[in-house]
Amino acid sequence: MVRETDPPLFSQWLWPSVLYFLEAAAILGLLTVVLSFLVAAFRYGPVAAGDVTYQAVRTSLRDLFSLSPRRISALAWLAVQESLRRRVLVGFAVFLLILLFAGWFLDANSNDPATLYLSFVLTATTWLVLLMALFLSALSLPADIKNHTIYTIVTKPVRLGEIVLGRILGFAVIGTLMLGIMGLFSYIFVARVLNHTHEVDVASLKNVPNDSSGSRAGRTTLAQNHRHQVTLDAKGNGSTDIAQGHYHNVTASTDGDKVTYDVGPPQDLLTARVPEFATALRFKDRSGKGGDRGISVGNEWKYRSYIEGATLAAAIFTFSDITPERYPNGLPIEMTIRVFRSYKGDVEKGILGSLVLKNPKTGRASQIETFRAKDFYIDHRDIPRTLTDPTGKTIDLFDDLVADGQLEIELQCLDDSQYFGVAKPDIYLRARDASFTMNFAKSYLAIWVQMLLVTGFGVMFSTFLSGAVAMMATLATIVMGFFKQFVVDVAQGAVQGGGPIESFVRIVKKQNVTTQMEPGLSTDVIQAGDRVFMWFMTHVTGLLPDFRQFDNVDYVAHGFDIPPDVVLVQVFTALGYIAAVFAIGYLFLRTREVAR
Amino acid sequence: MNQRQRFIRKIVYACVIAAMLLPLSWLSQPETTESKGGVLAQMRSEHQLSQAQLGEIDPASETIKLATLGMRGVAANILWTKANNYKKTEDWAGYSAALEQIAKLQPNVVSVWIFLGWNLTHNVSVEFDDYRDRYYWVIKGIKYRQEGTKYNRDSPRLLSDIGWTIAQKIGRADEHVQFRRLFREDDDFNGSRPLAQRDNWLVGREWLLTAEQVAARGVAVRGERPVLFYSHPVMCLVNYSEDLEEEGTFGEVAKNAWKKAADAWSELANRDLPTLSNVFIRLSEKEQYDEKSAQAQAQLARLTPAGLREKLVEEKKASLSESEREAYEADPSQRTKEHDSLMYLVNDKMAISHLEVASRITGSDHAAALKAAEEATNADFMSNLINIERDIVYYDYWRLRCQIEPEDDTLEARKLIYEGNQAYNAAQLVKSKELYVEGLQKWRKVLDAHPALLKDASMTDPLVESINNYRSVLHQLDETFPGPFVLQDVLDADVAFHGPRLPISQDSSAADGTPAEAAGKPAP
Repeated sequence: MVRETDPPLFSQWLWPSVLYFLEAAAILGLLTVVLSFLVAAFRYGPVAAGDVTYQAVRTSLRDLFSLSPRRISALAWLAVQESLRRRVLVGFAVFLLILLFAGWFLDANSNDPATLYLSFVLTATTWLVLLMALFLSALSLPADIKNHTIYTIVTKPVRLGEIVLGRILGFAVIGTLMLGIMGLFSYIFVARVLNHTHEVDVASLKNVPNDSSGSRAGRTTLAQNHRHQVTLDAKGNGSTDIAQGHYHNVTASTDGDKVTYDVGPPQDLLTARVPEFATALRFKDRSGKGGDRGISVGNEWKYRSYIEGATLAAAIFTFSDITPERYPNGLPIEMTIRVFRSYKGDVEKGILGSLVLKNPKTGRASQIETFRAKDFYIDHRDIPRTLTDPTGKTIDLFDDLVADGQLEIELQCLDDSQYFGVAKPDIYLRARDASFTMNFAKSYLAIWVQMLLVTGFGVMFSTFLSGAVAMMATLATIVMGFFKQFVVDVAQGAVQGGGPIESFVRIVKKQNVTTQMEPGLSTDVIQAGDRVFMWFMTHVTGLLPDFRQFDNVDYVAHGFDIPPDVVLVQVFTALGYIAAVFAIGYLFLRTREVAR
Repeated sequence: MNQRQRFIRKIVYACVIAAMLLPLSWLSQPETTESKGGVLAQMRSEHQLSQAQLGEIDPASETIKLATLGMRGVAANILWTKANNYKKTEDWAGYSAALEQIAKLQPNVVSVWIFLGWNLTHNVSVEFDDYRDRYYWVIKGIKYRQEGTKYNRDSPRLLSDIGWTIAQKIGRADEHVQFRRLFREDDDFNGSRPLAQRDNWLVGREWLLTAEQVAARGVAVRGERPVLFYSHPVMCLVNYSEDLEEEGTFGEVAKNAWKKAADAWSELANRDLPTLSNVFIRLSEKEQYDEKSAQAQAQLARLTPAGLREKLVEEKKASLSESEREAYEADPSQRTKEHDSLMYLVNDKMAISHLEVASRITGSDHAAALKAAEEATNADFMSNLINIERDIVYYDYWRLRCQIEPEDDTLEARKLIYEGNQAYNAAQLVKSKELYVEGLQKWRKVLDAHPALLKDASMTDPLVESINNYRSVLHQLDETFPGPFVLQDVLDADVAFHGPRLPISQDSSAADGTPAEAAGKPAP
């Protein structure tokens, strides 16, 4: 799995974020008070303005601190009923329709169907739920105001804050319900589509050359557009190779002379590895000199860097918290190593590499363990507790190679002029496997968080904008939230082609993004305009949630457990935004005539 | 606005809508069994652009096109961008999924299938280190293009591209030995095709011939020169025959394969081929045109008065500028760079065409001279045209190869050298020496009968490789490379093609002399 940046640790993230939130809330609150005073001063004069502002602040605080859960739940229930009246279940029907015909649009021959199908259901659910939340939240309040049905509520003893919160909660309940059902259907869909088995093609079984143990190799039958190579021991038990990201175990049973092979369900297909990633990765160059990166082999994507074979070049991964309690049976290592050949070599054989375990303090090392690199595959290796050192002396993994819970794993390429490419997450310890179902549920939690945010923003915008405009504003929030990083990159000049005005000019003039704009007054004006525009855009997007932060699809699709820290950060971020949009929505609703 | 005004306004709207429906109906009335339909339906029918004429109607593709609500272009652009990003970040599952979606959005754009299929077979496959993974992606790219033929069943370009990829990518890749083996073992791709026919060259040829059949129905072959388009199936047979021998199959099987290739060349030579000059030619007719030209030129020469050509030369020389004349009159060995560049122009100016000569012949011979000049000019033009097309497909060389390869001597020579190489690789030095000696003697006989074979490096390269093996065997047996070498002309030709080669090793060069020395040329 690709992880270009390390996810935040909740404990390190929480307090700075809370302080930032409180700071922002204080500034916004102060600004609101000052603005209210200025408006009131303009309308009633400065003396009366003070009184009006004081009354407004007092009422607001009273409203906010005396919210009634009973009234809120009643209003939420009204929102639920309204949603049902507006045929929100159509969204669910669309989802079922998508699932029914998904097979038409998905690549049946994909080399990684689990990733494909999981990405598909999670992405489809996300967009459907976000759209549903958008329509429900942004159109509801303006429609009530327009039809005057809002008077049936505001004339009752309810507080304005309760109206806003009730709507958010009501729509969230409906969204949660929909999401739950969608999740269930998605899970059944994925599990059913991916579940399969094969049969051993008995005619293909042949004795393994140069093997006296009686092992046989052959292949399985075709199922779901793939087949496996199978290797069986003398008793007929064994396993298949990895194809489409999974393998099968094979067991033989004998009935008289007849041997029946039973191919088990797919392994490692729907899984949730809990990886222990390295805390640091450093490199050594061909002369043994240390550095932060290896060398580039000319790839446009700089995620991995490379080490040269048959030199002193190495990639050294440092792992922490390595204890016998956590790994009583030794270290289960999994690695994904990219191979770059500078010449063809022997194409029948993979490039040879080695792993050495080292004590970071004493430098004591294990005997090298060699392997043939499996490009683009997750290669699993179990390192036992008892090892030998380069002299052949027996050593203990934890006693001799681990210092203060730390261990170094040194990777080298052994073939001359060939290269290995790695990034920090490419070698990890597979500490354990979590429940896939729970992982799937966690990915839906992230979608729920996004739905909650869209609902919050939709209701907030609908307190002061008309339905269509509120919907557009919410849509813009979603789009800008998803492209937040892009906006920042454009503003910082990291994206070629300039800002929006320059891009437009380039399109009109059919000018490539890499060519320089012609120097002159017009270019200066265009770029100055872009700077102003991008300054504004950067600050607006800075206030919006980064929707990509809530994207857990990659974890689930690639079979990795979503770290609890990631989930907690996502939930708390969403709650922070909900608190903010609730407060803003309340204040705006106060300004509406209908609310007085 | 009162009620009457509202009513009138509605009537006006209804009339405008009805009026607009009339041209719409004229334009887009659908085709039925009884009617040809509106203008658009007729145009679709005329240019064979209706979905049913292009290929299968795929509900998935139609749904996805409709679902984009007229934003197909935007959606396609987004998908292309995503595909590029997936490729950059090596997310191959995402990449191939994006490619499927693009194909669904643009199913009738043939270049999409070809371009993306190429990406899979040639660009994605090489990202993988294991040749089995590479093969998987090569086949995936081929299948991707095959899927395209469902939507574009009458595209010679797409069909030809599939055939070419099956033939060339599997047969010419660095891993062609492994790829060809995997292709033979690939039950999923080959289905019920018998094992003997599971050769990439033969399977590729089937697709190329299908492309030919579509072209024969009058569908234009775009994006490739016709002579190349029609030469691919022929070259498949040649390559098949070569690979048979490379993999150790000789005797009648190889002989028949070469004969079939020779027949295919004859068929191609007698096919009417369109050219860029809008003239149809046949590759086999060059010699006829040369003969015709020679006869017409001889007739013209008979009619030309003595001294006319010299006079024409003098006149042309007089029309040259001073610098051009200086270049023209300079000794060719003494010409400067400026002279050389000027000579391109001067040669054009000094060339005397047949018609120029004929136009200066007066009297009763004038008409006959003009006729002869015209005949010679036309024949030269056609000969030149055929020659260009021949050069493109290396016609002379391959025709010659196809003629001599099925001969018993050639087959025997190849077999002996193959067995010599096998023995050499198995370190059976004495046996390999004997086989090489015998094989090289056989080659002598073949080359004596067909000296034209030495004009091409692709013929001499494998021979030189075997000679080097032979040299190495002699060295290991402590024997010296024979002084007057039996295939000295092959080594000479090799030096002419590639320049002197580096010695195989210091030891062998010291003991035996480098190939350059053996060829009588100075060592580098």
